Amino acid sequence: MSESGVLERTHATGRIAALRCEAVTKAFQGVHAVNGATFDVPKGQITALIGPNGAGKTTVVNILSGAMNCDSGRQFIGDTDVTNWPSHKIARLGLFRTFQLSRELYGLTVLENLLVAPADQAGDSLVNVLLRPGLIRRQERAHAEHALEVLDTYGLYGHRDTRARELSGGQKKLLEIARAVMASPKILLLDEPMAGVNPALIELIGGHIVDLKQSGVTVLMVEHNLNVVEQICDYVIVLAEGRTLATGRLSELRENTDVVKAYLGEVIDAGAAH
Amino acid sequence: MLYYVFTLVFFCFDYFILAMGLNIQYGETGILNFAYIGFVAIGAYFTGVFSLHPAGHSGQHYILGLGLPFPFNLLLGGLAAMVFALIVALITLRRLRTDYLAIVLISLSLVLYDFCNNFVSLFNGADGLYNVPEPFAKSLGLTVNSFIPFFACVTAVISLLMWFVMSRITRAPLGRTLRAIRDDEVVAAALGKNVFGMRLKSMLIGSFYAGVGGGLLIQFGGSFNPTAWLPGETFVVFAVLIVGGAGNNIGMFVGALLVETLLIHLPAFLPEIPGHPGLIEYFDNAVVGIVLMLMLWFRPEGVVPARLRRTASFGAAARGDAEPDLTIAVAAHE
Repeated sequence: MSESGVLERTHATGRIAALRCEAVTKAFQGVHAVNGATFDVPKGQITALIGPNGAGKTTVVNILSGAMNCDSGRQFIGDTDVTNWPSHKIARLGLFRTFQLSRELYGLTVLENLLVAPADQAGDSLVNVLLRPGLIRRQERAHAEHALEVLDTYGLYGHRDTRARELSGGQKKLLEIARAVMASPKILLLDEPMAGVNPALIELIGGHIVDLKQSGVTVLMVEHNLNVVEQICDYVIVLAEGRTLATGRLSELRENTDVVKAYLGEVIDAGAAH
Repeated sequence: MLYYVFTLVFFCFDYFILAMGLNIQYGETGILNFAYIGFVAIGAYFTGVFSLHPAGHSGQHYILGLGLPFPFNLLLGGLAAMVFALIVALITLRRLRTDYLAIVLISLSLVLYDFCNNFVSLFNGADGLYNVPEPFAKSLGLTVNSFIPFFACVTAVISLLMWFVMSRITRAPLGRTLRAIRDDEVVAAALGKNVFGMRLKSMLIGSFYAGVGGGLLIQFGGSFNPTAWLPGETFVVFAVLIVGGAGNNIGMFVGALLVETLLIHLPAFLPEIPGHPGLIEYFDNAVVGIVLMLMLWFRPEGVVPARLRRTASFGAAARGDAEPDLTIAVAAHE
């Protein structure tokens, strides 16, 4: 299937794209990690980014969030061309991300991890720190109250004063998401939010992601667990060898021989073996 | 006797200021500034030339010679260190991190030392500056003996003021953002923080403290000699910081008291070992090095470790202490 064909089909759904990649490429010393990925992420939906290992999923997330520059191609948030913008500018447009391996701010408490997130904090300015302590105190109290609510939702309230480095692996995963939620995202990129967590926690995190969608957040998540994709994702983008292989609903993709061969086949075969 | 005690008091409070400046750079933001003493020296030199009168035929070579009164000379000395930090930061802070930044900065420190030591027409070479006016000495009619207690007290007051400001900065969201950058700057950037801008801010604030600390030193001693600003001096400030406890401003005072006062300056007042004049002073650096190693081995968080900021301090209303939702999720799953 041609890449322009993919785009047309996504447009055909009549949804507005919150995020768009056009022919993005990225090579690491000759290895083409991303090789012309083109896709739309529909607004207000949960989209899964799937593909075999080495398909370039994390690299795409890194490029979209500004942690990495692409070699060619363009990326858009809404109508804004944000190709190779730095992370902090992309974040200011409302796009936040989590990391495949949790990256907690280890020396800060769990509560402080969340308090770093809100945008436009008066207390980040030296002038305000010196001259307007009252303003900062009011803002801090409001942010702290909001953060405690979020921690309550994510089951981390009891750990609010714990240093983040002391959390367990699953708790760190939750903290990653809670921190991104605290930033009031419009678009959320989740890089394998379910990787390495127990089934109960998968259900819990899945529930939180659906709640986020219902509050109007666009979600793009890298995910290997097709059960999760089937249950909570509205759309699926399949990457293989750095290209967009197909997009659509999972049920449609199961019919697509290319997709089955490149990715689903492995899973189906693995399933058959049991 | 009073003279000795107040000399120690002066050095304790002066190094308290210096350590606070290094703490915001290294302890809070993680910038390994191995050129710190260079910024202290810049502050000292400029405070000196701002307070000296034009060089004329005094036999000294220096620039400016504005004859400004205290504390304007001191403030401008601090600002001069900041300007220098801005230039250094624009070159180094954008791309360099950790060890690589440290290597470049320690080289800078060496270059700066050789430059000052050899550039006679600008810095008076190895002679440095001397006869720097002692603040208020004339107007208050202070003698050599009464100036030292007086100036030690002035330094104490200034350091407490600067501590007040610094603790405000480190407690504010600004301090938290700096610590976030120290822990993981990729995360901080992904949360919308301008990492370079924040690191620059930290560098500038710290350098102002370095400059003021240096300015006080030159006014206390009345002279500026390049050999007192060897790159190795940076590590004395690091020792103060590590012994005191990185990330804690009170710890900086404790560190200054233990390292600068007790280990470096107090031994100078001990009676000589017969037959080995000056031997005690030569042991200073070795002792500081040993203490530093012992601290890093047995108590890396310092005598006064950085404190956690707990929920109550944000003034948010307490919620019922709920158990984590995980238990409910497990039950639902089963």
